[in-house]
Amino acid sequence: MKKVLIFLLPLGFFVLVALFLFQGLFSDPRARDSSLVNKPLPDFNLPDLMQPQVEYTPEVFKGQVSLLNVWGVWCITCAIELPYLTELSDNGVRIVGLYYDQDTDPDFGTKTVGTIQQEVNAKLGQLGNPYAFNIFDTYRDYSLDLGVTGAPETFLIDKKGVIRMHHIGDVNPRVWKNKIGPVYQRLMSE
Amino acid sequence: MKRFLICVALILAASSFTHASEEKYQFEDPAKRELFLELTQELRCPMCQNQNIADSDAMIANDLRRKVYQLLKQGKSREEVVVYMKSRYGDFVSYKPPVTPATLWLWLLPVIFVLGAVVFIVQSRKKAAVKADPEALAKAEVLLEKD
Amino acid sequence: MLAELGNFALVIALMMSMLLAIYPMWGAYKNHAQMMALAKPLAIGLFVFTLFAYIVLTRAFIENDFSLAYVAHHSNSLLPWYYRVTAVWGGHEGSFLLWVLIFSLWTVAVALFSRAIPIQMVARVLAVLGLVAMGFYLFILLASNPFDRLLPFYPVDGRDLNPLLQDFGMIIHPPMLYMGYVGFSVAFAFAIAALISGKLDSTWARWSRPWTIAAWCFLTVGIALGSWWAYYELGWGGWWFWDPSENAAFMPWLVGTALMHSLAVTEKRKVFKSWTVLLAISAFSMSLLGTFLIRSGILVSVHAFATDPTRGLFILGILAVTVGGSLLLYALRAPQLKSTGRYELFSREVLLIGNNVLLTAATIVVFLGTLLPLVHKELGLGSISIGAPFFNQMFVFLIVPFVFLMGLGPLSRWKRQSPTALVRQLLIAFGISLSAAVLVIFSYDQAAYMAALGMTLSFWILLTTLQEVMQRIEGNKGELSVVAKLRALTPSHWGMVLGHVGFAVTLIGITLVSNYEQESDVRMSTGDSINIGGYDFVFNGVEELKGPNYGGHVGLVDVFEDGDFVSALAAEKRFYPVQRTTMTEAGIDSGLTRDLFVALGERLDNGDWALRIYVKPFVNWIWAGAFIMGIGGIFSIADRRYRMAKVAKFKSLTSNGKTIEPATEAN
Repeated sequence: MKKVLIFLLPLGFFVLVALFLFQGLFSDPRARDSSLVNKPLPDFNLPDLMQPQVEYTPEVFKGQVSLLNVWGVWCITCAIELPYLTELSDNGVRIVGLYYDQDTDPDFGTKTVGTIQQEVNAKLGQLGNPYAFNIFDTYRDYSLDLGVTGAPETFLIDKKGVIRMHHIGDVNPRVWKNKIGPVYQRLMSE
Repeated sequence: MKRFLICVALILAASSFTHASEEKYQFEDPAKRELFLELTQELRCPMCQNQNIADSDAMIANDLRRKVYQLLKQGKSREEVVVYMKSRYGDFVSYKPPVTPATLWLWLLPVIFVLGAVVFIVQSRKKAAVKADPEALAKAEVLLEKD
Repeated sequence: MLAELGNFALVIALMMSMLLAIYPMWGAYKNHAQMMALAKPLAIGLFVFTLFAYIVLTRAFIENDFSLAYVAHHSNSLLPWYYRVTAVWGGHEGSFLLWVLIFSLWTVAVALFSRAIPIQMVARVLAVLGLVAMGFYLFILLASNPFDRLLPFYPVDGRDLNPLLQDFGMIIHPPMLYMGYVGFSVAFAFAIAALISGKLDSTWARWSRPWTIAAWCFLTVGIALGSWWAYYELGWGGWWFWDPSENAAFMPWLVGTALMHSLAVTEKRKVFKSWTVLLAISAFSMSLLGTFLIRSGILVSVHAFATDPTRGLFILGILAVTVGGSLLLYALRAPQLKSTGRYELFSREVLLIGNNVLLTAATIVVFLGTLLPLVHKELGLGSISIGAPFFNQMFVFLIVPFVFLMGLGPLSRWKRQSPTALVRQLLIAFGISLSAAVLVIFSYDQAAYMAALGMTLSFWILLTTLQEVMQRIEGNKGELSVVAKLRALTPSHWGMVLGHVGFAVTLIGITLVSNYEQESDVRMSTGDSINIGGYDFVFNGVEELKGPNYGGHVGLVDVFEDGDFVSALAAEKRFYPVQRTTMTEAGIDSGLTRDLFVALGERLDNGDWALRIYVKPFVNWIWAGAFIMGIGGIFSIADRRYRMAKVAKFKSLTSNGKTIEPATEAN
């Protein structure tokens, strides 16, 4: 009998693997948990995109629930979500932009802040401006601190300045209804 | 001596061209350059299909390379750089899996298998030696001798 | 209209596979000769109709029939004709049709070349193959039909073939790989047929040996081609990435290598029977698992087939039925297996099983490394990555005992080897290997322990192989010249020698390129030069590039050594407008002892260019070794022992009423 068990071992192993493979079929291999959720926003000291003399720190998130939206004019999906974000902001959701540009080498970039401002104004004028203000992530350091891998990505931040959700990809009515919206409502009533 | 001459010849040959080009990420200390190459191969580009940040052309890979360079320039150690990246992008960002009760099997299972197999082979040899029927064995030997 | 005929041909092929699965099996059970005789024509029919469907699809590609969804997605009217032919396997549906075509090719080969094997056995083997084929034809027709139309609104032009695949390496890599993958189905079918019949003497091992070696050859060459392609096409200068797609091909190779050796022991010595059966099942299971991993998209890999959960589910179903069923059968039948051969603890048998254990451990390492991230995530423990650092570490540990046994095995005798008789020989081999390795390492500027280890291992294999050949010559007491004695060695013996030498050659390449590769990431303007690894690379600027379906830039780099011109390299950066993809075609000067490799990066703001330059010592040896291994396999198959005449003689002997164990008369 003991001998038979040994010969059943490969079958048992296979069944176990097959179960995991089956489960794996129904989950997105690229979905990942952010390691910053439930942690306070990392420290920063960055200028406003439109008025570089104005500087922001995490203090600007204290006291109200906000969405921090990472975006850029070069990003196609960002343009798709802009109208819906504008709708949300018209309904009273506070949305702060974290803007970064695509010049691959910020140290030797060709774009000046002036050209970036023009491009941003043109884009927002065309698709709607959901942003209370835009923080300019000059060297893309801050998006790196946030664990951003691309644009668009959106963070939900509570009244204490703690990150409560990290969403990768665009915000659309479905995402808002199923994922971000309910948490947002809860945080508002906290 | 010969090697020295070759070196001189190389230097002369190199200097005969107009001017030398520069590396994108420069280090004074060759050990740090080595560490930079190692780290960029060990860190995973978080948004790519499956590439390390040395191989990827994605913007995020570019940013992470630059960050690794800056951190090394600041005198950070290998572990500090890895911790910096993991605190932002999670364990996923390193191709070296963390050692946890769940991942320990990566190392344990192959070892258990090899040890188990060795025990099994030795054991079954002993049993066979006891059980063997001398007459059948003799017959088998005769057949096998024909090989 | 033709496409509908192709579809119809696949339906007929499906019906034939069903008949093939049922009739011969039933015939073998009832000992009904006519039903068993149906196996061969059905196998031929299966192949002919699949081939017809395949030709129809190829014709649609050549004639740019964009009303077929598959053609529209993977071809373009600007694509050169030869790429249109190979674009047939450029996507999921077509490559699966190729998979099935190759499967039917192996099936028909078994039907045609097994005249010497008892009809019951052939009938069962073909029925098992038919059963497996049935799943695949159902899959093609229900979930991945390449003949689906885009009617009535079809595009004027196609979306083009993925530029990564527009390349010579890609023309031959997938068919080779599939030949290997699918080829293990034959050994699988023999093992299952033997389990079903209950006749698990070692005859099945001898029959399936040439098939296994053939599949292994194709897989070896296929993997090498894939690695070579990645090396020059991806522009990163790497040759192995431990990507799931590579691991998916590597696992069947490891198990197949173990199987090849284990079959030899089972055939000659009638031991390890149940282990060999398990390996035969595992090799094909690994092929199926690889197919599932790549086509279901459950792992993040550089290999991207458009993914679809229903397809993954379907293949998982096939996997569950095929592998689960055969392992169940194994669990029921294997306990009855008795090994009759006798052997001591130190004997060739034990050394070969030791090699099997290590190859299996290596498979476990690759398997865990590939699948544990998925399990980890499904258990809710978060995402982790397992990559090169882990695999390299484990393989360094595994390869030392593996290579040690690899040198010892061929020198040892079956049944019993006196350890003292070998010690002197081994000490000599070890001494020379170590000294040779140290000499090689000293010719490089810096010493590295890993390099010394790798070279010692490589020389160990080469020297023990040489000793083994000499031992054989001395063992030949005839009054013959050395050349004549060498010629007296059997082809299958030469096969083993070449296989082991090839492995050593690959190991040398891996060792030297991993330890002594030089690389540099530079920005250069026209006229700049840089010295890397003793070579001066002079950048002569960038020119415009115009191809049939792409544009781009080509960076021109001249290479000098000590002021002497060595080579002019052209590193291309191509842009394919239809797929909006940029591709790197590295400029490579290949040589026996080193490759010079230049890849063009992006243009920088001041007009400079970023370039990636490598000097890679002995990198070609990696693939050369794999080809030597492949040639070794061909030698083994060519061995007369496998030819029909002798087996036929055996058959006539047994039919006279005498029973002779076939394994004993052959060696």
